[in-house]
Amino acid sequence: MDFSESDKDLWKAIYNTKDLLHCFNCSTCLSGCPASHGNPPLLVRNLARMVVYGLEDDLLDDDTAWACVSCSRCEEMCPMDVKPFEMILSIRKWQSANDETRVPPSIVEIYKRGYTQSVGTNTELRESLGLPELQTITKMPEMLKLYQEMLMKTPVVSENDYMFSEE
Amino acid sequence: MELCLFLGCNTPAIRPDVERAIRASMPELGVDLSDAEGYVCCPAFGAFPSTDDDSYLASSGWNLSIAEAKGLDIMVQCGSCYSSLRMGRDHLAHDETKLARVNELLELTGRKLECKTKVRHVSEILYNEVGAQKISQTIKKSLEGLHGVVQYPCHTLFPSEIVGFEESPRQPKALRILTEALGATVDTYSRELQCCGGAGGFSKSTPVEATAFVKSKLDAIIEETQADFIVVSCITCLMYLDNIQKKLNEAEGTDKYHIPVFDYNQLLALCMGFDPKQVASICTVPRNSVIDRI
Repeated sequence: MDFSESDKDLWKAIYNTKDLLHCFNCSTCLSGCPASHGNPPLLVRNLARMVVYGLEDDLLDDDTAWACVSCSRCEEMCPMDVKPFEMILSIRKWQSANDETRVPPSIVEIYKRGYTQSVGTNTELRESLGLPELQTITKMPEMLKLYQEMLMKTPVVSENDYMFSEE
Repeated sequence: MELCLFLGCNTPAIRPDVERAIRASMPELGVDLSDAEGYVCCPAFGAFPSTDDDSYLASSGWNLSIAEAKGLDIMVQCGSCYSSLRMGRDHLAHDETKLARVNELLELTGRKLECKTKVRHVSEILYNEVGAQKISQTIKKSLEGLHGVVQYPCHTLFPSEIVGFEESPRQPKALRILTEALGATVDTYSRELQCCGGAGGFSKSTPVEATAFVKSKLDAIIEETQADFIVVSCITCLMYLDNIQKKLNEAEGTDKYHIPVFDYNQLLALCMGFDPKQVASICTVPRNSVIDRI
């Protein structure tokens, strides 16, 4: 492996905590991790190495952080308190900030209607179950507009505002 | 007690019978529920928590502020919603800079957050506030003679420091004790603490491997227990463990996988005498084998 091009300070840009430097590759983070069974596998300890070694290009291309199921077993079990789940989210944030194709389409749905899916539109089914009409934000245009205006001040929405236009 | 009900997306949109079961059963146990009008996505870990802290915590703050304005704590069933909201609250409660930034953002919408509202899981409310004894005394029918197995929602166990409520997150017991309170016998099995694997990108990005992973759990249940049903307390566990069984049967040309899956509140509502058509009607694996015996 060629380290001559590696960015030794990359970890500060991705996951700026000394906790990460305590990782000694013990692999406890893989025990019980569903996505470690994937193809390719999510190998949390390998991602930690890539961050520490500053392998920027490899890390930008690596999809495996997105396979995480967020069960947080690794967070619980890590003997060095690296907080691997926080690291996974940090890698995703860094990828999203540096590659717009990484920005999850679900955030556009949330911006447009408040949710990742159509909540409260299954009126007939809900009525048949004896359920009340839901006061969703989708049905409250003025409130939804306020939520959107707030999101517009956050980095991911303001920097990718073309994704959120009405057209 | 009164709590603010945070429904998330999947329950009201795809499995509203679970919502009905929760709305029916909790008030019977003295837990009144108030809706979170105008709530937004928790937000899901694959959404804003994967892009930046501002959009993540502003959305958490938006939701928390709805309950805070009512002076109520939040109650959640969905594991992911619970974990996202609770971790978001934890960031805001322990980091003044983050809370100040979220309040700057919320101010644009006329809201303010003091971070007084707590985020609680429905199984924790049932276990700690209501208690197994009161549940046993309240129900009109029981699950006597039926065997069940428990699927603990990972998001209520780990990291225990932030989301946990069990005495030991590695030996959880709340859902087992709550199920026993309904009269069922709860069998244990080797893969009891294995994640269902249904959340996040895993099941979508590598479905073959994800199916093999959940198959190992279902095989352990079939081989090691007398389970008539699986009980969960998370909408993702419910939908995934229910729907995957049909896919497994189709893939393997078998009918081996047919264990009905229930949310705990559905079994509770059924034992209280509520109509199965309202509280337990939406499923892939038929539930008659259990419902007819209650």
